[in-house]
Amino acid sequence: MGGPIPSVPLMFQQPRLGLSEAERARDAILAALTSTDSPIALAIADEHGVPILLVRQDGAPARMLSRARAKAYTAANLGLDTVTFRDQHVNAKQRTLNDWGDLQITTLQGGLAVKLGGNVIGGIAMSGNTTMRDEALALIGLRAMALPS
Amino acid sequence: MIKHLSIGLGDARLAVQAVLDATRPSDGPVAVSVVDGDGNPIYQVRQDGALSVDVRNAERKAYSAAYIGRDTSMWRLQILHDGRTVADWANAQLTTIHGGWTLRRASQVIGGLGVSGAGDEDRDEQLALKGAEAAAQLAVDEWRTKRDPRPIRERSAVRT
Repeated sequence: MGGPIPSVPLMFQQPRLGLSEAERARDAILAALTSTDSPIALAIADEHGVPILLVRQDGAPARMLSRARAKAYTAANLGLDTVTFRDQHVNAKQRTLNDWGDLQITTLQGGLAVKLGGNVIGGIAMSGNTTMRDEALALIGLRAMALPS
Repeated sequence: MIKHLSIGLGDARLAVQAVLDATRPSDGPVAVSVVDGDGNPIYQVRQDGALSVDVRNAERKAYSAAYIGRDTSMWRLQILHDGRTVADWANAQLTTIHGGWTLRRASQVIGGLGVSGAGDEDRDEQLALKGAEAAAQLAVDEWRTKRDPRPIRERSAVRT
């Protein structure tokens, strides 16, 4: 014991989604809302699905933020947009969510995986409008993060 | 019908910003959560480097302050005095960890604000107070814009 410390790398580094990217997405989404949109909820999570930023507009029911959180968690944890998860992994293979054994995941459309250099670094999700509109707004936020491709 | 007041997104964002503005370089990265009077989140941020347990506890502190209607440190003193523990409430979302402030307006609970991650729970509480004070200041500002500017003796119907 007590020999020289090996020179092999003992740690690894990975990029993470920060609050500044999340705030850029928030601002872009709020600016993109129109008078026809219902009050929205937004969730942006890190690669483990832990929230970085949560927003619930006045008048949006609490369940909307619960759904947005579930979508962001799902996209981040599975590394898939929730609609892709629904169509290609659940419906196409005739499975149910029980197969994943995780009460926080959902197949509701509107959650997008945030990726950088092929690595999943988070999830962004919307709720409050139709699921297709939710996804379109989430995409506006994702693009506003201006992550290098 | 009853009129139920709730903090809105605009005020919640200003309160969170007041907390972030009050942090010092010696503070750890924090998570800040603002919930409505029922404990449901309205606005929540996590500074870069804040741990996931801070996210969880900021939300639990805010929830507890709103749901119980007492600041978490004050509630801790109360249940210690009463010889109870948090487990008596059978609600895993509740906590007595310092750093949750109840937000009130017109004697009603309109929300809660929780901070976690600064380094210790008492510093979390100091920072959360900055947010609660900012929210209270918004209420004062609103009252000033709405109040009758005339002196009281000119407003009184009795003293004419």
